[in-house]
Amino acid sequence: MLECHRLSKQYGNVLAVRDMSLTLDGQDFLSVLGPSGCGKSTLLRLVAGLEHPDSGEVRQSGTTLSGNGKFVPPEKRHFGMVFQDFALFPHMTVAENIAYGIRGLKSDRQKRVMELLDLVSLPYLSDQMPHQISGGEQQRVALARALAPRPQLILMDEPFSNLDHQLRVQLRHEIHSILKHEGVPTILVTHDQSEAITFSDQMVLMNRGTLVQAGTPQEVYQQPRSLWAATFVGEANQLPVRWSQDGLHSSLGIVTVPPEVGEPAATLLVRPEDLRLQAADSSGTRGVVRQVEFRGASQSAEIQLESGEVVYVTAPPQTACVPDEAVSVHLDRFLCYGAAGQLLSDSKASDR
Amino acid sequence: MPYRTSRWSWLTAGLGLLFSVPVVAIVVLAFSAQHGVWTHLASTVLPGYLVNTLLLALGVGAGTFVIGVGSGWLIAMQEFPGRRVLEWALLLPMAFPGYVLAIVYVEVFEYAGPVQSLLRDVFGWRSPRDYWFPDIASVGGAVFLLSLALYPYVYLLARNAFIQQASVLLEASRMLGRPPQKAFWEVALPQARPAIIVGISLALMETLADFGTVQLLAVPTFTTGIYHTWFGTNNAPGAAQLALALLGGVALLFVLERWSRRQQRFHTRSSSTKFPSRHRCSGVQGGLALLAGSLPLLLGFVLPALFLLGWTLQSWERLPLDRFVDDASHSLLLAAVTAGLAVVLGLALGYGMRLCRQRLVRGLIRIVSLGYAIPGPVVALGLLIPLAQFDQRLNPWLERLFGLEVAYLLSGTLFILIAAYLTRFLALAFGTAESGLAHITPGMDEASRALGKSTVRTLYSVHIPLLRGSLLIALLLVFVDVMKELPATLMLRPFNFNTLATRAYGYASDEMLEPAALWCLAIVAVGLAPVILLNRQLRQAHAVQETPSHRLMPVPDLPGAAPAPEASHA
Repeated sequence: MLECHRLSKQYGNVLAVRDMSLTLDGQDFLSVLGPSGCGKSTLLRLVAGLEHPDSGEVRQSGTTLSGNGKFVPPEKRHFGMVFQDFALFPHMTVAENIAYGIRGLKSDRQKRVMELLDLVSLPYLSDQMPHQISGGEQQRVALARALAPRPQLILMDEPFSNLDHQLRVQLRHEIHSILKHEGVPTILVTHDQSEAITFSDQMVLMNRGTLVQAGTPQEVYQQPRSLWAATFVGEANQLPVRWSQDGLHSSLGIVTVPPEVGEPAATLLVRPEDLRLQAADSSGTRGVVRQVEFRGASQSAEIQLESGEVVYVTAPPQTACVPDEAVSVHLDRFLCYGAAGQLLSDSKASDR
Repeated sequence: MPYRTSRWSWLTAGLGLLFSVPVVAIVVLAFSAQHGVWTHLASTVLPGYLVNTLLLALGVGAGTFVIGVGSGWLIAMQEFPGRRVLEWALLLPMAFPGYVLAIVYVEVFEYAGPVQSLLRDVFGWRSPRDYWFPDIASVGGAVFLLSLALYPYVYLLARNAFIQQASVLLEASRMLGRPPQKAFWEVALPQARPAIIVGISLALMETLADFGTVQLLAVPTFTTGIYHTWFGTNNAPGAAQLALALLGGVALLFVLERWSRRQQRFHTRSSSTKFPSRHRCSGVQGGLALLAGSLPLLLGFVLPALFLLGWTLQSWERLPLDRFVDDASHSLLLAAVTAGLAVVLGLALGYGMRLCRQRLVRGLIRIVSLGYAIPGPVVALGLLIPLAQFDQRLNPWLERLFGLEVAYLLSGTLFILIAAYLTRFLALAFGTAESGLAHITPGMDEASRALGKSTVRTLYSVHIPLLRGSLLIALLLVFVDVMKELPATLMLRPFNFNTLATRAYGYASDEMLEPAALWCLAIVAVGLAPVILLNRQLRQAHAVQETPSHRLMPVPDLPGAAPAPEASHA
């Protein structure tokens, strides 16, 4: 079990990480998600021991790694790390790179190297130099090298960002199953929300050096604790609201919420998939289709409501959706946020 | 660009061919020798030259490796007080040509010099028999001085290699269980190997080309051998054979250097990380690092400069200043004319290269860039022989046509000096122009041509304005190298014609140290200019890595992906 307790790190005047705490249990995959420059890489380096924390503690299974006047250097932590540009040693072959971190007899080391090359399905590359192989192959070799010494934890710093889109999705999947197969707990740092959502069991959302929200990907996506979190993870429509006796007014009509939610509410947040389109009739809110983007498995429609506001709706591909035609928009689910962007509650819309 | 090979390219190819004359002359001359010349050399002086030159090369190789890699490692990987100053100051010894260091240190270490006098005073020794003191006039002395003068090549390249390959590989090594020192030996040093080899081969090329240092220290090598065989025994073919052997050694280093540069492409990658990676030294460590880092600077620049300054001030009233003004104006004139010509020709050649994809033509133009590797005495021999023959044929004609009685129109005038300088240093201007041109996208040529401008017009209205910075740098580099050049000037100058370098050398040979000091000081002062320039460019290069910009300065090529801005420590 890895624990970070109230870690802080400052570079010059820049507070890169402030009071960050997180816990990683058993064989879980944790992803740290945040915009670039939010301090997530620094957090990872604090865990790795590549940086000394200014305050706070890193503990593993009860022993302190950093903090309280103690510091275990990175080479003694037995963590594996996969770097953003892979950092393969350019003067060593693929096999030598993988063997680098393994201790023991030469024959054992060779055996382990072959094992790992098989694991990442690259046994034919063992004698190649890093510059002779493709980006995707380098990535898998980097993973094999990190796994080779049987680390207690794998740390990955934006490992997919140097690859093109298609390769990224495919490798993400492969590497996920390799790591699950090996049963090594993993921390992944990324700025790509789909990567974080698909890769991990646990997610930590960071902004400006501090923790925004921690939880499972589902929790973070469905119950974002702030407007910022809601818009950073996934797409979201934001509509201003006004509270009155009969309920919460917005351009999507009136919804009923308890007064303790409705009174302080400033914004109604609706995921595109929580809106439903129907042929224009008297129900729901009337709107006109402005643009449709067909995505294959779904379509995204831009709807101008009667009030003039625009919302985005994700609809099943079979829904009739023709530009410039009138439709009815139905609200299935929404979240209310206060003036400071804090989550007030969520409710199922009682469709009117 | 799919242009047909233009007249321009052919013209410049012809020019390139012209610069192969010295080497061709050496080859012809060497093989025209009568039988027995080579065997005579082989049985007399040759083994000595060979042993000395080899020892010198080995010693300077080891010396520049230790000083250059050591200081490069300190600057790149450690944080200690004074590091930022040392980072640029460690390049200062480049301003001292080897022969100037020799002039200073021969005086400092001789029997009556300050060091031995001090030792005698302290320990009460009276005569040379009372103690042992190393003789500076030896191979060891030459190794010491040339290592001091040439380590900046290795330092510069090693430091940059350490900084560029960067922390991420070292971090990877540590994450795989290596402590920092081990990570350095296993990862950082092998990584920097191609860069270090490039630096050492540049230093060794300078060592093989060195004439002044070894001559002043009375260490016979190939270069001094060429000089003595030619002028002392008037045996030009013998000298040519020595020159050919020397060229063989140079060619070997040249190939090594090119090969390592190609390796470098795979090795260095500039993944600049924003995380500081220097190891913070503790108090004692920091003090030791500062001491070790300043030692080459003190010995290679500060102390010699102070000695020169002191001697000059001491003898100020007795100095023949009118002579100094004469020599300085000769040096300035030659340097200015050569630099101007080199920039014009270098640009023409670079543009010829750009216009043409044909291998033969490109190869011919490329000949020019080999010039910087040819030692000065070899250039002198290879130019004087053919030009003197040409003059002998020309003289009767001139007499008949114009009634002129000129002794040696080409070989006896400044013409041959400038030709020799161009042979050696045109490579600098060409390399700078070429790398400057490489930063201009071919699209600009095409746009200009499509708008109806000719090739020449395009060069004039597009490239030259964009290249102004590069061309100024080329001008400066050639200028300074001409000011410092010694052996070719010594061998080719007209009778009774002196430059700063030849006079300083002459005074020192006659053991007239005090006047020599002022001349030396002037040479060092001029030599500081490119060091300052280099520092400015490096600083920009660091900035460029962080924010890519479109500068037209040949920034990333230092010190020379194309021929290096090498100082001639001849």
